[in-house]
Amino acid sequence: MKKPVYIFSDGELHRKDNTLYFEGENGRKFIPVENTSEIMIFGEISLNKRFLEFISQSEIILHFFNHYGYYIGSFYPREHLNSGYMILKQAENYIDEKKRLFIAQRFVEGAYRNIRQVLKYYQNRGKNLDDIIYAIERLGDLIAGTSDVNELMAIEGNIREYYYKSFDEILGNSDFEFDVRSKRPPKNSLNVLISFGNSLMYTTVLSEVYKTHLDPRIGYLHSTNFRRFTLNLDVSEIFKPIIVDRVIFTVVSKNIIKKDDFDQDAEGLLLKDRAKMAFIEEYENKLKTTINHRSLGNNVSYRRLIRLELYKLEKHLMEEQEYTPFVAQW
Amino acid sequence: MYEEVTGSLVQSYNICKRQVWLMAHQIIPDQEHPYIEMGRLIDDISYDRDRKKINFENVVIDLVRNDNGNLLVGEIKKSSKAVESARLQLLFYLYKLKQSGIDAKGQLFFPDERKKIDVRLTSESEMEVVSAINEIRDIINMDKAPAFKKIPYCKNCGYKEFCLS
Ligand code: SF4
Repeated sequence: MKKPVYIFSDGELHRKDNTLYFEGENGRKFIPVENTSEIMIFGEISLNKRFLEFISQSEIILHFFNHYGYYIGSFYPREHLNSGYMILKQAENYIDEKKRLFIAQRFVEGAYRNIRQVLKYYQNRGKNLDDIIYAIERLGDLIAGTSDVNELMAIEGNIREYYYKSFDEILGNSDFEFDVRSKRPPKNSLNVLISFGNSLMYTTVLSEVYKTHLDPRIGYLHSTNFRRFTLNLDVSEIFKPIIVDRVIFTVVSKNIIKKDDFDQDAEGLLLKDRAKMAFIEEYENKLKTTINHRSLGNNVSYRRLIRLELYKLEKHLMEEQEYTPFVAQW
Repeated sequence: MYEEVTGSLVQSYNICKRQVWLMAHQIIPDQEHPYIEMGRLIDDISYDRDRKKINFENVVIDLVRNDNGNLLVGEIKKSSKAVESARLQLLFYLYKLKQSGIDAKGQLFFPDERKKIDVRLTSESEMEVVSAINEIRDIINMDKAPAFKKIPYCKNCGYKEFCLS
């Protein structure tokens, strides 16, 4: 099984013949090409074209993150699995507004149902979430009746607003109060974790998209402008509540990440490297966790589940099987 | 029409019609799948006299020149279980060779079972190949992929997760 490689230190990435290595302050480290699916770069790295060429050939994606841990962009090797048929189908479903809305609604519905599932779980453990769940359910009822993507996005935004309010009740930790959702840069610790986790999620989904015939530039909920990747943002919506948010709850409630794991700099709060690594460890563990898949008849990891979601989308585009989003059972 | 009929498609044709359609539409889902071989659609025939081998798509065929100046195309198979599939595939190669002006005879070898089967491109078997090619073309030209129907082969198929997701 191929694995992502994370680089936190500063240094240079090199190609030497048919091997890759990273040269940093602490010496050289080899990167096994056959076992690497993607390289996640958090440090200050320099690299050259020879390196990029080899990375491309080896079908390894590079994902770059800035100083604060937000996603900057990816080096996405030229699509290796090209199917003209699939790209046409993907575009056709984007251009036709009805078809586009249908898919976008399914993504929001998936996000909503998974959010609800997370909340129900904590409600069952005695958290006082009745009002929030009620409000979210009323909003959820509106998804199917929306008449355009903007209206749908507005409902999604409202659901998320209620949902994030519930974090204070779920966590019950005054060091991690939600306050208000702030991005670029986030203003408080909880927002830092949410942004960081979401960034990881976007890259994970993008890496899975790379292994299908879908073009990541054509999204349905997030508008396509062909300049950036959006399909991965769409599909991430479904998995954020059950993967990212659960990791956040774990690292906070188990004190894996504490108040002093954050530094304040001129522009905002940032997570120390140690804490980023701890978060990533939990995140990778979550992706490896398996659940039983009914129709496949065996256990699949969450990472695999993301791929299956993309296959389902492909089958929808092929007009084989109407797409229904994955909803966690607990 | 999406692409030429290839030996890989003929092979799939014997296994699953849905697979034929998916392959022809370049939908090759799981590159990490251990059994995946059929994705490698190398479709050039390289005929190398010295090595006495024909590299044909994903199949390497041993090639022997017999006394009459005819070619003998031998394909080695592990087991005779899929003999029908192997025979049709070999017939397909013989047919393609004939189209490039090479007359050849075929033989399937099953070394583990000490068995040999002669395969000849007779007018009858040629009809069989042509009709398979035609049917493959029809499948490819279908608007939608043939519907999924579970068969024993699915277990080992690279499309398994795609079909069952
Ligand atoms: S999984 Fe089964 S139905 Fe799907 S292509 Fe393979 S053999 Fe055919």
